Amino acid sequence: MRRFSRAERTAHWVVAVTFLVMTATGLILYLPMFASLAADRMLWKSLHIGAAIAFWAGLVAVVAVSPRSLGRTASQLDRFDDDDRAWLAWAVRRRGAEPPAGRFNAGQKLNSAVIAGLAVVFTVSGVLILLQETDKTFRGVTSAILVHDWATWVAVPLVAGHIYLATINASTRHSLRGITLGTVRREWARRHHPKWEAECD
Amino acid sequence: MGRITGAREPLSHTFGMSERRIGRAAFLSVVGIGGLGLLAGDRISSLFSGPLGAAGSVVPQGLKDILPIGGWRIYAINPPWPEFHPAHYRLEVTGHVRNPVSLSWDDLMNLPTARQTTDFHCVTGWTVGGVRWQGVRLQTIWDMVEPLPEARYANFVSLEQPYVDTLSLRQTTLPEVMLAHHMDGAPLTRAHGAPVRLVIPEMYGYKNVKWLTRIELVTELVPGFWEVNRYGVDAWVGRSNGY
Repeated sequence: MRRFSRAERTAHWVVAVTFLVMTATGLILYLPMFASLAADRMLWKSLHIGAAIAFWAGLVAVVAVSPRSLGRTASQLDRFDDDDRAWLAWAVRRRGAEPPAGRFNAGQKLNSAVIAGLAVVFTVSGVLILLQETDKTFRGVTSAILVHDWATWVAVPLVAGHIYLATINASTRHSLRGITLGTVRREWARRHHPKWEAECD
Repeated sequence: MGRITGAREPLSHTFGMSERRIGRAAFLSVVGIGGLGLLAGDRISSLFSGPLGAAGSVVPQGLKDILPIGGWRIYAINPPWPEFHPAHYRLEVTGHVRNPVSLSWDDLMNLPTARQTTDFHCVTGWTVGGVRWQGVRLQTIWDMVEPLPEARYANFVSLEQPYVDTLSLRQTTLPEVMLAHHMDGAPLTRAHGAPVRLVIPEMYGYKNVKWLTRIELVTELVPGFWEVNRYGVDAWVGRSNGY
């Protein structure tokens, strides 16, 4: 079954690759442990900022090429029906049957919304840190670096969990095929996204 | 296993289910929390700094050099960090002076020691409060080398090339400026610029040159490493960082 369009996959990998580069370079800039191994601050800083620019440029380019397709995806991620709300309660309590999911389950929807919010938080706080280095007028916002750190502590576990489910966890990792090759097995879809599988007939 | 298997029939109830835009709400909440953090994050974190600071004081220095505990981040420009060999170390004081000197580690330790507890501010926004420094006042050095009348600036050259930064001679004798060789009761660690770093708490960290190896008195201002890279030559900690 066709799971993700070319535009969706491109958008995903633009975000994934740039996020990983920013995480790696960011940790080098942040953790003394890595600072001793790779102390060239100028290099890691320009890679970090370069990846941030690539993130936005890539995302704008993909959306500009396929605005309607990606708009539809965003709308699917945005809307939670009764089953999705029941799914969230089920995910917390882990009792009874898993409420049926559509194309995305409520966890995937929430994850994408939080990551999108964090992208804005990272960008605003990051630009402020950059401006503060050279321009006194921005130094009034004394919490920019703190907010950038906090966002890291939220984003890194979220993405680590996402990667775990997509590559290691046996029952879900078939989804990796959907985001790389674009298709998934019908039987996997029926088990994890039954309402979507039924609609695709 | 409690999963929906023959799930053809739920199709009927996908229609008419009340949909809510929870995704957008979650997105806006995250952005809102971030905005609140920008406005009040330092006040929120200072609520926790008491207990965290107490916890930080029992953490061994070795661990602090690995993880960002105690607030320090280690910035350097040219890997690997310089290494300190007590037998070979020299601090040279040269340029427009009457008596250039080359001080060994023992020479430095035998000079009169000053102590101070001051805050350390980085231009990227972080601050470490109440750092206990021990070291030599610049006036002690100037009394030895006797700067010539035309000397107006001191360049502080790091073992980490090409790091250098500069102060006017007047700035070097501000009350809290020193060449620090001990921090928080222990010899300066490699991460913090062993064996000697310049400490000028009134200015941002990039003026506080680590791994100091040479002080050169000159007649004209030579911008430092970060100043060539667009940082201000004027590095006074303003009202920002709560100074």
